[in-house]
Amino acid sequence: MAATLKPYLNAVRHTLEAAMCLENFYSQRVERHLKPEVEMRSSKEVLFAPLEICRNDREKVLIEGSINSLRMSIAIKQADEIEKILCHKFMRFMMMRAENFFILRRKPLEGYDISFLITNYHTEQMYKHKLIDFIMEFMTEIDKEISEMKLCLNGRGRVCAVEYLKMFSPTVEWNVSEE
Amino acid sequence: MILLEIGNRVIFDTLKSKFALTKPDSVRVTAIDFDGVQYNICNPENMEKSIIEVHARMGIFKDLKEHGVEDVLKREYGEYLVHAQDGYDVTLKFDLNQLPEDPEAKEAIALKASLLKRNCFASVFEKYFQIQEDREKGDGEEAAVPMAIVNYHEEEAMYISAETDRVTVIFSTVFKDPDDVVIGKVFLQEFKDARKAHQQAPQVLFSYGEKPRELQNVENVLSGENVGFVTFVLFPRHTHAANRENTINLIHQFRTYLHYHIKCSKAYLHQRMRSKTSTFLKVLNRAKPEEDKKFVKRG
Repeated sequence: MAATLKPYLNAVRHTLEAAMCLENFYSQRVERHLKPEVEMRSSKEVLFAPLEICRNDREKVLIEGSINSLRMSIAIKQADEIEKILCHKFMRFMMMRAENFFILRRKPLEGYDISFLITNYHTEQMYKHKLIDFIMEFMTEIDKEISEMKLCLNGRGRVCAVEYLKMFSPTVEWNVSEE
Repeated sequence: MILLEIGNRVIFDTLKSKFALTKPDSVRVTAIDFDGVQYNICNPENMEKSIIEVHARMGIFKDLKEHGVEDVLKREYGEYLVHAQDGYDVTLKFDLNQLPEDPEAKEAIALKASLLKRNCFASVFEKYFQIQEDREKGDGEEAAVPMAIVNYHEEEAMYISAETDRVTVIFSTVFKDPDDVVIGKVFLQEFKDARKAHQQAPQVLFSYGEKPRELQNVENVLSGENVGFVTFVLFPRHTHAANRENTINLIHQFRTYLHYHIKCSKAYLHQRMRSKTSTFLKVLNRAKPEEDKKFVKRG
């Protein structure tokens, strides 16, 4: 399972590097307006073919490019109910602070958990390779963080249960085994 | 702080400080406790400062009346228990001039007063523990004693029944937030599994949505996606006289304990998410080039 991680991340990184060639482009529909074309999807010629990179049926990344903007959506691995709610909470937490994150989109795409929108403004203000580093680190850290939170929750549950039930038999010695 | 305190801290501190004063002072404190219990500590209407009255109002009192709560209160509080005032269910009266001199004895009285809610619950548990003990010995009545239903929280109830070799306590609890349901499942699963490691613990079973088999004949039982049922099976080693007090202390607070820990876990997760988000922000800000310091003033 871990063997697929590196090639997966490599593929995503190379695709991002290729897609993140953004330049200023005024809207062809409305005079003097500038809109991210990947969101508007008004003219076919400025959009690039979307690319979906799947690690397995549940983890995938969708990268849609255009001439002045790039949209990347991530579907995060959620094996069971508790991971689902943890992921959902975490993504919602971050998306509420999308203003601070600049490149985060306030709503994820249908079928995905979180989306980034990178425009030519962002690539003008920030280093491209550092942006890509950030996204790669984000992807690795999210999985780690969700597993850690789940472990903490389970550990906490175990401690609470043992402490409570221990009290029912105050005289008996308890050896709490560390699993 | 994993286990919750048993008595009410507000009552204990107020009474302890008032008992310790050499000159009586007026007191007027309103407090609330878990499970919808309200307390009011004040001087009587004639404003005599040397008498302190503790009034309590609780929704479950009328349910507990048929289980002998008044007898238990009389036994525990003796002379301090007086006829309940209008609008309240229990009233305790303390005359500062007649309290024992010893400060430790005063503290003990204050402690007992803070256990008011617990003693009310104790009445129904003691009754059923006694029924089980009698049955085990063979003295008990042959007819089945009906299940006790205590609605201790809005919409939530506790069902207690006793058989020859065990006392079963079933809690029905509502999770208002759907995420609580999932976190609750994790916790209750741990409660269930703790028995594998420690045989002495009471057996805990739980189910979601549908009521358990024992409640099949009971009406007005809640049902729904977010309703959980937790069954505690207490064996004679938990309910015999030596352990009885301890067991009652723990079991009457179970629902509060569970929800308290669920809320604490959510707060902890929130804190983790916050710190992780700020870490991400730091990484992102590294992407910004440093501003050129065009003018460096020297001298």
